[in-house]
Amino acid sequence: MAKDTYLKKVLGEERFNHIKASKVLMVGAGGIGCELIKNLMLTGFGEIHIVDLDTITLSNLNRQFLFRQKDINKSKAMILVKAVEKFNYFDCKLIPHHGNIMNTELFPISWWSSFDYIYNALDNVEARTYVNSIALFLKKPLMESGTTGFQGQVLPIYPYQSECFDCIPKDTPTTYPVCTIRSTPSKPVHCITWAKEFLFMQLFDEVQILSPEKLAEQRKILESETTDKKEIDNLMNETNELNDLRKLTSSTIEEFMDNLVNKIFVKDIEKLIRIDSLWKYRKQPVPLDYATYNSELSSMVKSTSSDVLHNETKVWSILENLYVLYQASKSLIDRIQSGEKFISFDKDDDDTLNFVVSASNLRSSIFGIDVMSKFDIKQIAGNIIPAIATTNAIISGFSDLQSLNYFKSYELSNQDANTVFVSMKPNRFVARATLASPNPQCASCSLSSRGIMSLSSLDGTLQELIDNIKEFYKYEDISLILGKNKLIYDFDFEDNVDRSLNSLGFKSGETLLVQDDNDELENLELYIIIGEEFKLPELTLRAKKVFKEETDAEDDEPIEEGVVDDIIEVEPPIKKQKV
Amino acid sequence: MSLAKTRLQEERKLWRKDHPFGFFAKPEKSADGSLDLTNWRAGIPGRKDTIWEEGIYPITINFPNDYPSKPPKVKFPENFYHPNVYPSGTVCLSILNEEQDWRPAITIKDIVLGVQELLSDPNPDSPAQEPAWKAFAKDKELYTRKVKEQAKRYQNYNA
Repeated sequence: MAKDTYLKKVLGEERFNHIKASKVLMVGAGGIGCELIKNLMLTGFGEIHIVDLDTITLSNLNRQFLFRQKDINKSKAMILVKAVEKFNYFDCKLIPHHGNIMNTELFPISWWSSFDYIYNALDNVEARTYVNSIALFLKKPLMESGTTGFQGQVLPIYPYQSECFDCIPKDTPTTYPVCTIRSTPSKPVHCITWAKEFLFMQLFDEVQILSPEKLAEQRKILESETTDKKEIDNLMNETNELNDLRKLTSSTIEEFMDNLVNKIFVKDIEKLIRIDSLWKYRKQPVPLDYATYNSELSSMVKSTSSDVLHNETKVWSILENLYVLYQASKSLIDRIQSGEKFISFDKDDDDTLNFVVSASNLRSSIFGIDVMSKFDIKQIAGNIIPAIATTNAIISGFSDLQSLNYFKSYELSNQDANTVFVSMKPNRFVARATLASPNPQCASCSLSSRGIMSLSSLDGTLQELIDNIKEFYKYEDISLILGKNKLIYDFDFEDNVDRSLNSLGFKSGETLLVQDDNDELENLELYIIIGEEFKLPELTLRAKKVFKEETDAEDDEPIEEGVVDDIIEVEPPIKKQKV
Repeated sequence: MSLAKTRLQEERKLWRKDHPFGFFAKPEKSADGSLDLTNWRAGIPGRKDTIWEEGIYPITINFPNDYPSKPPKVKFPENFYHPNVYPSGTVCLSILNEEQDWRPAITIKDIVLGVQELLSDPNPDSPAQEPAWKAFAKDKELYTRKVKEQAKRYQNYNA
């Protein structure tokens, strides 16, 4: 019996042949990629390209099961292909690429257009957004997938027919206002951010250090403002204080430690307390009583037997935190003194992590905030999302299965596929939902059209291009934004019209956003390639949609689409839950 | 990003159509001759009949990639004298604070008007620098003198 007998039966002869003839792309060879590649191969795809820019590290090995210890530091994409060759039963052509998927020279649009289907197995929003935009430019089906801990989701994307990646608002990582971080922390994360992004950076990382000339200049400005010499000195000090501490990295550890603790945990806190209005409604911080710990700390330092540093899950006492701060500072200034110009925070660099853990814990205790273990702080400081192999495996399975639907008819409008969620909710381990229509306010797919613009040369002027675009699409007045944020032309800004496209930064792989200055037609996003002749994409632009300012949009409309309409129950529920 | 640049160009258009008298706001010019939509420069006139009235105060407005989900960062020059301005120049204002009153619908016009209001109407409960905060709370005479001196220095700031 042939190896593919059952596969043919399960998929149906026609779909099986389609899959065999298809060329697909898998972006990412990490947690999901390692799982997904075997699924795709065993589904019978004819050709699979794998892209990843990363190399293998020790921390990958617990879940990225295709990699071994001997593979550390080697390319993920290359090793992955080698590892799966052993079970390449259906003679799949496997092509690895070691590189950044967003690199337009390595991966030009012509390369992208050769694929029938794109599978994302990525771990960051930036790359996902990029692949999504390519899928929109080329109208290619895309399978989005992701996991965090016990939760995971796959989302099939049919450009302009169903929700795209940008249609769904993202929870962006929270940033904290400078006031909270510097003066009024109330959560452990505020102190961790302070220790990592402010204190550690100022002391050890590459920061702009004001030159003596710049300082003299500042002083002059201040002198023109006031004659009060004491105040000038005070203001200048504020700028200087951290500079001074940084200089201490070249002195002894005792001197460094005493100065650091006295400034950061005593004097600065006393200064804050004097601003009494801050503490009207808040609990006042209590400066560290450094003197009481002094003798115990020095005897702890002398006895070399302390194993505090190795206990990562225990919540350290104040004395223990001081000890860790001492040891971490010692290692860090040793490193600076033996030639490292600056040191950046890295969760895997234990000296930097220990410094941040102890400094943030000491600050927490001053402000009456919970002190945490090194293990817990590492998760927060390193932005670590726990990765669970089982979730990755389940999600990769759905990623493959939900894509099979497309290979029946190759129709983008065929939306039988589902988005699938996996979570740990009792009786709802797996839930699926029909695909939602594109979000009408999505700037990427609903409010603009996209296409590929071919330029025959970059020597022409901007004016010529403007005239061509206006005439072709019947725009009256336009504005042009090149790349991420470069406004090169609008009604009020005509400085560049006589310059060549080349000098303005036009190049293959760049995007140009055209907006209607008269608000009649929708936006147009053009992907630039250099070709034989000048050619604009044939598109009929829709009228521009105008939305009224949202007031309280959250409660206005009931959610109609995308509701969970089917639940696969793993165990019969005792009580039916309402959906 | 797609949303940020579209919105910022809309903001530029809105500002052109309608902006408060005496203010200016525009994207900074880059070395290559383009305008950087994520970095704006603006001038805030002090309110009439206040100790701030003589100056037009420079600010920079820096928009993050995930604007308008996230608020922009507004900065005065370093060591700007005001109780709610950090020594670095960063402004502490609730409409610019993601955890407080920032909403994506807030326009550049709203922001510059908010900053203007903050100038002559500081918030004593969120001090950001010692000298101006102390003088504002305890020595009004000194505060007034310093503010007026500063106003003189920014008399001729313009686009």
